Amino acid sequence: MWKFSVRRILIMIPQLFVLSLLIFVLAKMMPGDALSGQIDPNIDPERIEELRIEMGWYDPWHEQYASWVGGVMKGDFGMSFRFKMPVTELIGQRIVNSFWLSVATLILTYLIAIPLGITSGRYNDTFRDQLITGYSYVGFATPLFIFALVMLWIFGFQLQWFPTSGSVEPGMQPGTFDYFMSKFYHLLLPALSMALITTFSTILYLRNEIIDTKQKDFILLARSKGASESRVYNQHIFRNSLLPIAAFFGFEITGLIGGSIFIENIFGYPGMGQLLIESISLRDFSVVTATTLLFGVASILGALISDIILSLVDPRIRIK
Amino acid sequence: MEANTTNVEIKTKEVIKSPSGFSVVGRELIKDKLALISLIFLIGITAFVYGTALFLDQDEIVRVDLFSIYEPPGEEFILGTDYGGRDVFGQLIIGTRNSLSIAILVTLMTGIIGILYGLISGYFGGHVDNIMMRILDFFLILPFTMIVIAFVAIVPKYGVWTFSLIMTAFLWMQIARLVRSKALAEKELDYIQAARTLGTTNFKIMFRHLLPNVSSIIIVTMTLNLAANIGLESGLSFLGFGFPESTPSLGTLLSYARNPQTLEYRWWIWVPASLMILLLMLAVNNVGTALRRAVDARQRRG
Amino acid sequence: MGFLKVEDLKVHFPIKGGLFGRTLDYVRAVDGVSFTLEKGKTYGLVGESGSGKSTTGRAIIGLNHVTSGKVYFEDKEITGETKAKSDFRKDIQMIFQDPYSSLNPKKRVIDLVAEPIRNFEKLTRKEERIRVQELLELVGLNPESILKYPHEFSGGQRQRIGIARAIALKPKLIIADEPVSALDVSVQAQVLNFMKEIQDELDLTYLFISHDLGVIKHMCDHIGIMYKGRYVEEGSAKEIFENPQHIYTKRLVAAIPDIDPRKREEMKQFRAEVNTEYEQSYNDYFNEEGLAYGLKPISDTHLVALPEKG
Repeated sequence: MWKFSVRRILIMIPQLFVLSLLIFVLAKMMPGDALSGQIDPNIDPERIEELRIEMGWYDPWHEQYASWVGGVMKGDFGMSFRFKMPVTELIGQRIVNSFWLSVATLILTYLIAIPLGITSGRYNDTFRDQLITGYSYVGFATPLFIFALVMLWIFGFQLQWFPTSGSVEPGMQPGTFDYFMSKFYHLLLPALSMALITTFSTILYLRNEIIDTKQKDFILLARSKGASESRVYNQHIFRNSLLPIAAFFGFEITGLIGGSIFIENIFGYPGMGQLLIESISLRDFSVVTATTLLFGVASILGALISDIILSLVDPRIRIK
Repeated sequence: MEANTTNVEIKTKEVIKSPSGFSVVGRELIKDKLALISLIFLIGITAFVYGTALFLDQDEIVRVDLFSIYEPPGEEFILGTDYGGRDVFGQLIIGTRNSLSIAILVTLMTGIIGILYGLISGYFGGHVDNIMMRILDFFLILPFTMIVIAFVAIVPKYGVWTFSLIMTAFLWMQIARLVRSKALAEKELDYIQAARTLGTTNFKIMFRHLLPNVSSIIIVTMTLNLAANIGLESGLSFLGFGFPESTPSLGTLLSYARNPQTLEYRWWIWVPASLMILLLMLAVNNVGTALRRAVDARQRRG
Repeated sequence: MGFLKVEDLKVHFPIKGGLFGRTLDYVRAVDGVSFTLEKGKTYGLVGESGSGKSTTGRAIIGLNHVTSGKVYFEDKEITGETKAKSDFRKDIQMIFQDPYSSLNPKKRVIDLVAEPIRNFEKLTRKEERIRVQELLELVGLNPESILKYPHEFSGGQRQRIGIARAIALKPKLIIADEPVSALDVSVQAQVLNFMKEIQDELDLTYLFISHDLGVIKHMCDHIGIMYKGRYVEEGSAKEIFENPQHIYTKRLVAAIPDIDPRKREEMKQFRAEVNTEYEQSYNDYFNEEGLAYGLKPISDTHLVALPEKG
């Protein structure tokens, strides 16, 4: 267990390094620099040149890279020229929203997947099972953004059950119960839209896992010893099938990032995904670099967590 | 004695091996009415879209006409017009053609790269495989949408080809991993070792021996990837990071729905394109799953 | 010098482990094997599974990486040669154990048999077809069946296809790795006799690898007995079968089934004796690790692994 974890973390280091290098190169290829955010027509171009030299714009690339990484480690991503504030501060506001959206989506995903997956696996090849697999099949073939648009159209605009943009009602006092409720209310439709589509893989996985498990010898033994059907499912099968599902949540992070870019843009939800698209269209490149890096690091960490949990659950992985 | 065993052996072999190839696929398709309908639909829509597009002038369709902005469906425009007064029906045809073309192109390119990468990694094994898999793992971890958007944003000369190359650069891993694991298993079999003792070069072994034996699974995966790529392309175009507006795709039509007014009041602009994407993806998926059943005897229906 | 000469051949496989996948230890599959083959003869390599006999054969032809030692073929070193177009590839061929997995299931007979021909010779389609049909006829298959797939043949027939392919380039040496052990007993003798026939016809030399002493007795002029990667005894067929010196060899020879039912009791008793002797004198014949000692000559051709003290 420890050996595997240490080795897995060691593998992560080159991954993080290559990611940072990739994003550094991306950032260098983007037009403009940290100063273009503060360019004031009144400042003398020569003074800007001096500032650039001072800030190391003409240093060799590895020195620039080192100082960039150093800054990032300290949480310094530079200035956003559009919002005229440090990128770190800007991201700080958005990342909280994205975090809650992801948490809500994950909770809903599992709330939908677990009962459906268990029903489907327990009563496989019945009408109920066919309904559920049919649903996951359609979910598999439906792009998230189309589904989200339809959800917004029906529940947001036609039925007007949910707000159609933002993360909170304007003018609410932070900290109050109403503020919290409003946040929750804004979160619900985007999270539900994402969960309803992404849940299909978990349903199918759980279904197959249960169908596999219920034919194993130890289940047959439990049955032959006279354990009731519900006991067999609750005590034995469920416990065996659920752990791998739990382990996948790290991998879900990569999916959530991709999904949140669409969801946040469709529902006008001020999170990281919306910030990324916004800052690209405004050519606010220091923000683009920072969001890309954070998303990338989140994915790498997610894969790490999943791998380690999986190695706990399934010893075979450790041997590899 | 010899003749006797021969007969028995041929019989058992027949159960496992034959009927092979197309007859199985054909039978599977006929058994699976949904897949058959899907296939007919796909052939029909492809023929219609590519055929009609020959008579449509793309420049004519994407030209802004300020006198007919947001016309609802009617006599003149079957599916109305968009914010630039452009015919939605024409854009739908051209868009479907463009979306299909790029999805096919990307699927083929990712297929070729994935097959090469997987074959080399799996066949040579050892350190080569180790390093190649580390690289692949890294690509696999990157969030696809984000990284493609970042690349699209900085590419100076942006066009259909650059777009498909960027998509390909981050989509080849699935096929590569699949081919690699198949190749790893297959190369241990004696027929590969035998080929080496017969003086067959590594290159020939990879392409003449290994590849034909993993081809069926590649075809299935590439079919399913085609469906996924239609979705990915339209999603990126929807966000504004796919096709340029001068070359509309289905996603371009959907992107007009990012304007709440359009989403709420002008359904004719985005609903047909959504339906088209859904139908295409479902149809391709249906065909893909039927193929998978044909290839994988355990899932076969009959 | 000999026709094929193997000098102190070692094939070790690393065991990886630990934090960084370092090499912790080695499996010594082949651990210092030397022997010489004479042209036109059949040399038998015998041992249980895991004794390293197959690995030896595969290392000679370049399928396994050689850790150390040398292999000479007609006085030219060919150790660890992996290039596909090396000269010796035409001269040394291999027959594989499993006639099911050694033929690519997606290829027709003509492509299977013509594969080596295409690699080394430039023939027209027609010439190639005639050659393949001749070869099929030579191995006793219907020349009409060139368009069939391997799964349409029985095990014995498939092994004949394998042989046809191995002799297509008119090789000098054939390494036969358990060529009949996957076949029905009824078919085994046919294939073995056929191999003997073509040996005379084509002037072949065989390196015959098998765990079946009965088959070895039938086929071989010289025999080497392997145990845990090392030789325990080497000699002519007569010496090995009539005068086995090493206790391990004795036990193997005693285990050969006798068809004569009248001798059944006698054999049973004999085996029990040998077994007792084996258990009692095990420590005299093997070192502390249970491995064989170095070979000592007891006659011109007969070598036995005995400890220094003699």
